[in-house]
Amino acid sequence: MNRYLSLELPLRREMMTTVRLATGGVCAAAGLSYDGGEDCKVCVTESLLLLMRRGFSAASVQFYEDARGIDVRVRGTEGGGDTALSDEDEIALALLNALAESVCVCDADGSITFLFGSQA
Amino acid sequence: MSEAVAVNNEMSEEELFRAYRETGDIALRNKIVEKYLYIASVLAKKFVGRGVEYDDLFQVASLALIRGVDRFDERKGLKFSTFITPTITGEIKNYFRDRSRLVHLPRKVSELRVSIKRASEEFLAENGRKPTAAELARTLGVSEEEVLRCSDAGGVVSLDTPVDREGDGMSLHDVLPADDGIFEAIEDRDALVSALATLDAQERELVRCRFVKELSQVETAKRMGVSQMNVSRMERKVLQKLREILKKSMVG
Repeated sequence: MNRYLSLELPLRREMMTTVRLATGGVCAAAGLSYDGGEDCKVCVTESLLLLMRRGFSAASVQFYEDARGIDVRVRGTEGGGDTALSDEDEIALALLNALAESVCVCDADGSITFLFGSQA
Repeated sequence: MSEAVAVNNEMSEEELFRAYRETGDIALRNKIVEKYLYIASVLAKKFVGRGVEYDDLFQVASLALIRGVDRFDERKGLKFSTFITPTITGEIKNYFRDRSRLVHLPRKVSELRVSIKRASEEFLAENGRKPTAAELARTLGVSEEEVLRCSDAGGVVSLDTPVDREGDGMSLHDVLPADDGIFEAIEDRDALVSALATLDAQERELVRCRFVKELSQVETAKRMGVSQMNVSRMERKVLQKLREILKKSMVG
């Protein structure tokens, strides 16, 4: 796996399959288990949907190799501004926290970061 | 209703759970479960595509939701969705883990195996050598025996693995019993020999003709010097007798 991989994408639902495939490839290259890779896909998708519901129209997804696993940073790059949390958002955030480690949501710059350990 | 609580749609989440905690009213719990069932559905959908049907996932999630309603304490200030999501997610992941093994390991063993792997890697990185079972046991706060047992559990072994170190050519495949019912057949034969011993000479001759030599009733009748009708009656009687003896031996 490269030490760094970045995706830039318009935030549309039809892009999710592409993102999930790319995420699966990165996880496999990083040596994550099948379940770990699937969980990581769920987290990336949830993060992007969260940003979409907050009014972002484009986003970037960056994967960094980390000594502890994969560090994923999802950030809204265009639009945004809606910071009210819907029920769906609450569930998505709780799901992120349940599946990933070190989840950090920064409303100020519309970014969500989380870590997937190599044991996942 | 005596203890039951009148629920209306205006009740807040906190009021609902407080009412349930104070009354333990099952009808109220059911209403709460119905109200939050959508969370089970939403989460189950997130895990579709991993080889388990949505309906099964929804069932696992729903059961976790019901248990979660009982455990939730609204006084801690947490929103129910925040509380229940990791609970349901954990149950779904446990379900996947349990299903993913052909031979199911107890959850404690599976978890300890992961901890052993992690601790071994950390030890190797720090000390440049693999840890002993005793060192792992100390690190993980479990007994040495548990470490050894969990290390052996869950591994895949080839059927061609030699069964001893002396290289006499015997593999695991050679010594595993075949699943062809041979032991049951031996037991059946023993029971039948005992049952046949209870028959008189004429009855045993009939069994030999009809079921060993597979002669017809007419041929048997000629061989035994009796009528075919006699053979028919005797056969019915003998079979009934054998059935009763075998049934008794099975019960005993």
